[in-house]
Amino acid sequence: MKKSNGLRLNLIGISLSLASILIILQMVRIQNSTKHQELSEWADEEYSYAVENYYPERGNIYDRWGRLLAGNEDVYEVGVMLEYVTNPSTIAQTLDGINQLNYKEIFSAASKSYDPEKSVYAVLTDFLPSGVIDTLSQIKQDFEIENPYGKKENLPSLRGVVWNPHLKRSYPENSLASNILGFYSYMDRENGIGYYGIEEYYDDLLTGMPIETFMPRNPYLLEELPDVPAGASLVLTIDREIQAMVEKKLDDAVEEHEAESGTVIVMDPRNGEILAMASQPRVNLNQYWKYEDEFEDKTPFNRAISETYEPGSVFKVLTMSAAFDNGTVDEETIFNDPGRFEYGGSVIYNWNRRGWGKQTMQGCMQHSLNVCLAWVATEMGNNDFYEYLQAFGIGRRSNIDLGGEEIWPLSAPGDSNWYPIQLATNSFGQGVAVTPMQLAAAVSAVANEGKLMKPHVLKAIIQDGKQYDTSPQVLSVPIKPKTARTMNLMLMESLKEESSLATVPGYSIAGKTGTAEIPVEGVYGTELTNASFVGWGPVNDPQFLVYVWIEKPGSSPWGSVVAAPVFSSITQDLVKFLDIPPDDNIQNLTAKST
Amino acid sequence: MARKRKQAYKQAPWRRQIQSIGLSLLPVVAIAVIISLYLIISAQAAAAGLQIMNLHYEEEEILRTIANQRSQLAWITSYSQMQKRTEKMGYEVAPESDVHYITIAGYQGQNAVLIAPPPGVKNRPTSINNDLYKQSLSSWILSTFFINSSNSLEGDS
Repeated sequence: MKKSNGLRLNLIGISLSLASILIILQMVRIQNSTKHQELSEWADEEYSYAVENYYPERGNIYDRWGRLLAGNEDVYEVGVMLEYVTNPSTIAQTLDGINQLNYKEIFSAASKSYDPEKSVYAVLTDFLPSGVIDTLSQIKQDFEIENPYGKKENLPSLRGVVWNPHLKRSYPENSLASNILGFYSYMDRENGIGYYGIEEYYDDLLTGMPIETFMPRNPYLLEELPDVPAGASLVLTIDREIQAMVEKKLDDAVEEHEAESGTVIVMDPRNGEILAMASQPRVNLNQYWKYEDEFEDKTPFNRAISETYEPGSVFKVLTMSAAFDNGTVDEETIFNDPGRFEYGGSVIYNWNRRGWGKQTMQGCMQHSLNVCLAWVATEMGNNDFYEYLQAFGIGRRSNIDLGGEEIWPLSAPGDSNWYPIQLATNSFGQGVAVTPMQLAAAVSAVANEGKLMKPHVLKAIIQDGKQYDTSPQVLSVPIKPKTARTMNLMLMESLKEESSLATVPGYSIAGKTGTAEIPVEGVYGTELTNASFVGWGPVNDPQFLVYVWIEKPGSSPWGSVVAAPVFSSITQDLVKFLDIPPDDNIQNLTAKST
Repeated sequence: MARKRKQAYKQAPWRRQIQSIGLSLLPVVAIAVIISLYLIISAQAAAAGLQIMNLHYEEEEILRTIANQRSQLAWITSYSQMQKRTEKMGYEVAPESDVHYITIAGYQGQNAVLIAPPPGVKNRPTSINNDLYKQSLSSWILSTFFINSSNSLEGDS
């Protein structure tokens, strides 16, 4: 090798090494410059992560047999990416008429000029079903084939139109059990909340926990994505079939009797489970925004828990139970009914304004004698009578797990709005106000060996893949089991004796009618009444309690004429749904099995 | 003589040149191999990251589809729809006289609905993200070649 060649090679080596060293030095300098730090931080902030909000799926609501009452459906938001729009006219023509959109609105939205800072995307419509999106997608594809990238202005193009899926609340049963379920305002995607009923009471559970997270755009940084558990699902005590049956019979009764409204509660007195709760009016929950049309003038969403009223004679069940329990009266007690009872400066009359002579306590209940019950209450005395009412939960919330429960406070001795005459009038359900739910719960204690169970509609919660069943709760024990059994037999016999329209062939039923005059401007005696009936059975082993309230019936004012037949009709179907055989069948089946 | 002997055993200049070039290129080749390895692993990690992202979107879509189909099923088995179907098929409500009750030994009636297992049943899956996906190349080299332990997966997370 020549010397000059070696020198040349060395020079090249040195030059390359120097260049490499300079490059490395420059790299180190750039890496450590303050400008680099700033740029790096800015890039991290702007481009490395995107803030993403995860809204968990709202929990489902099922009836007691797992039939879906409230779920979620796939729908789409349709919008335009303004940067890519080439033909606003085609977009407007294609979407014209969908979801009540008109050409002008769409054209105006799609024609907005693109501004990367202010105007990138415009929403055209929302809540479109997947079928419409399939059609739209097909049209878009066809246009794209004819006019790739929408470059030819004279040809149609849907470039820029995009759609994003999301879930919306859905109620497959429409208005069935709407008073119980309430609704979720799904049209407000950011701030939707539950209103009334289950949707309101369990809103937090159903909604779950929305999560805001930083999602790395750099796939190297991507590790596990946040697990967003869906909201809890709920299983109700409601039986869809019983609910549908009860709603139909209630609607028929309200129509037949030209009543203003009606309410029916079906519950299991042994554990407080509500099997059905029907009320008028109802609304199709899939169009919840129309509910203000149905519920005019502060009409309660669910009368069963939100409307207080004077219950009338059904209240006598509580008065007589209390009197039997504290020993004021017994089966042998005789009351000589003169037809009027003077107390506290006022006079109490019977419903027919005549005296009924000597009556046992069963007779008093059978003929629904106000005078007798007023006498019973005065014999008991203020303290005992109101203590019992409080033990029955009168004047307090039933604490049922539904949003919107109302109460009317119970006036008792010592209260400024209590007068001595109220002891007499309260005894037969006048001057005291309850909701149907409160009264049904109170009477259920008589049906359930004296134990007042907490009324509830939640049977189980499904959360994190586990089902947690609820347990029945005893709220109080207002009367002794012996008293309850005595009352059961007495009210069963009184129904039989009067050949009530409430009886159910083959089944032993206990119950009581109620006809409460509605005061107008504080005066009783008008034709307006609340007709009601509360009954339960089979008397030997009560498995159901049905409370019927028909508000302001036009055909007849009497509970025995209007509400009792509704009770009978409902119960005849109810025993089939609940697989309760007639009394004689039970005896035969028991005999065969032993 | 000595000079002649030395010259006789001396490597040819072109061989010495190749040796020196080879020696200087060796670290370059080694660096290139390491960089290639790093690139391959990085590409795999990026692909895995993208796959996670795609699976995440796929999971979201599947959950939406399940919710949607559950609702669709509920629509077609709703009370009003079932009523129509029963009427169409000729079913009617049995009159009381046609209802007979019999005792079935051991039958407790319809069981309460069980949509999910009760608490106490361990069926919740642990993370499905393999630990290897969380490992960097450096930690893999450390754990594989320098730390003599079978359980030393130093995850970056």
